Amino acid sequence: MTSVLVRRAGPLTTIQDHGRVGVLRHGISASGPMDGASYRVAGSLAGQGRGGIEFTLSGIEIEVDGACRVAWAGGAFRASLNGVPQDWPGAAQLAAGDVLTILPGPSGNYGYLRFDAGIALPPVMRSLATSSRVGLGGLDGRSLRAGDIVPLTGSASALPLTVEPQVAVTGPLRVVWGIHADRFESSLRQRVVNEVFVVSPRLDRMGVRLDDPQGVFTGAGTLSLVSDAMVPGDIQILGDGTPIVLMRDHQPTGGYPRIATIVTADLDRFAQMRPGTIVAFEPVTVEHAHRLLRGMS
Amino acid sequence: MSSTFPILPTILPLGDSAVLVRFGDVLGDANRAAIAFARTVDLEPVAGVLEVVPNLVSVMLRYDPRTTGYESVAGEIRLRIGGLETAPAADAGSWSIKAVFDGPDLDDVAASLGLSPEDFVAAHARSDLRVLATGFAPGFVYCGLHPESMVLPRRSTIRPKVAAGSVLFAAGQTAIAATDMPTGWHVIGRTDFRNFDPAGEPPTRLAAGDRVKFVPTS
Repeated sequence: MTSVLVRRAGPLTTIQDHGRVGVLRHGISASGPMDGASYRVAGSLAGQGRGGIEFTLSGIEIEVDGACRVAWAGGAFRASLNGVPQDWPGAAQLAAGDVLTILPGPSGNYGYLRFDAGIALPPVMRSLATSSRVGLGGLDGRSLRAGDIVPLTGSASALPLTVEPQVAVTGPLRVVWGIHADRFESSLRQRVVNEVFVVSPRLDRMGVRLDDPQGVFTGAGTLSLVSDAMVPGDIQILGDGTPIVLMRDHQPTGGYPRIATIVTADLDRFAQMRPGTIVAFEPVTVEHAHRLLRGMS
Repeated sequence: MSSTFPILPTILPLGDSAVLVRFGDVLGDANRAAIAFARTVDLEPVAGVLEVVPNLVSVMLRYDPRTTGYESVAGEIRLRIGGLETAPAADAGSWSIKAVFDGPDLDDVAASLGLSPEDFVAAHARSDLRVLATGFAPGFVYCGLHPESMVLPRRSTIRPKVAAGSVLFAAGQTAIAATDMPTGWHVIGRTDFRNFDPAGEPPTRLAAGDRVKFVPTS
């Protein structure tokens, strides 16, 4: 069976799949790809082998020891195969000794490598997804590093497809008001809509801290509540007034007030925003959020 | 403590794929109602709901927005609220958990409550506890409630790491760390009991509503 040798990996490179869904009641968030749409694009291009590799800003380099099909997608990185530049996203049939190099590109935090064969590692709670919070799943529950070998098994479960380029969505991030929005004054809620925030450098798979240059939440983050379940996209306000957006490896429960939740249709786009990106929020109804989701499929 | 729960919960969207059903904002009746409601939904599933997550005073229902909508789920929730029995389920689990009470905060906790460490351990063992919720980390259980006379706030500082099996105490509750974790709770002891096994089916053993007794050992 073909194996993938990781020749170079940036920090927080992890094996992911659709996620460890359904175990939140045991205190475990689902994990899964930070940009699910791009993960699925790479899967369609590759032939839907189980799982994939999520790489980060600095890219990745792999070498295979046998035949396989590989696809890449997510953000805008630079790919080359044995030194020959490739399209982004794209796919190729590899033979033993081939080297695929992904280098940093103009946009995005996360990219994906998917294969026609499945990743042959033991699922944990029915999922290959690596949880950086708990340290389980993937390869020994940890990030990939140079020298790791990722074994593949089986053959393509679907024919590879071509994927139409997606029209990039721009504009404000759509949110549904959060479960504690009523605990903030209406004037503050209005400022959440009118002012802008900035993606800070403090981001990982658990959450993305936002800078708040206008001080919208200054002095507003003092409430402490009985904790409730959390979902990816929740925007919670820490005790010091810092807004933080919970991401795929989020805490299962939290007791900080949540002003809003980024809608599912916009969460992948948010995950790809680099530090320094200016973000604005636009409240929508749940029904509108569902229409956005249907428009994507 | 039995009887029908008379207070209507607040039902609200949690993002675009979940509904939160909140029964109050203090533990006690609200916790019992949340556990009972989660159990009801487990027994009478709501179409399109993928996951039911009971917590301290609320229950989250995560749904598939491709097959159902917020109003449908909320409507089904309302149909399951009427006649909700908040008495603990007759078949709830019952656990005796052996623990060594030698934690670094034991003496301070006992002194703060005006007790000797021995008297605190004895009083702690007398408390009739139930699992209030699992949360914060894998298999981390909140057990309560202790009587008013045993309520202490959390520590003012956080320990960056306590070991799995640490027995923790704060806010009228005893918790068990199932994994290594940071905590602001007082560390009063340790147990060999592990409530998280990634290979287990299910991966945790204690469930909300289960009766728990801590048995001091040496």
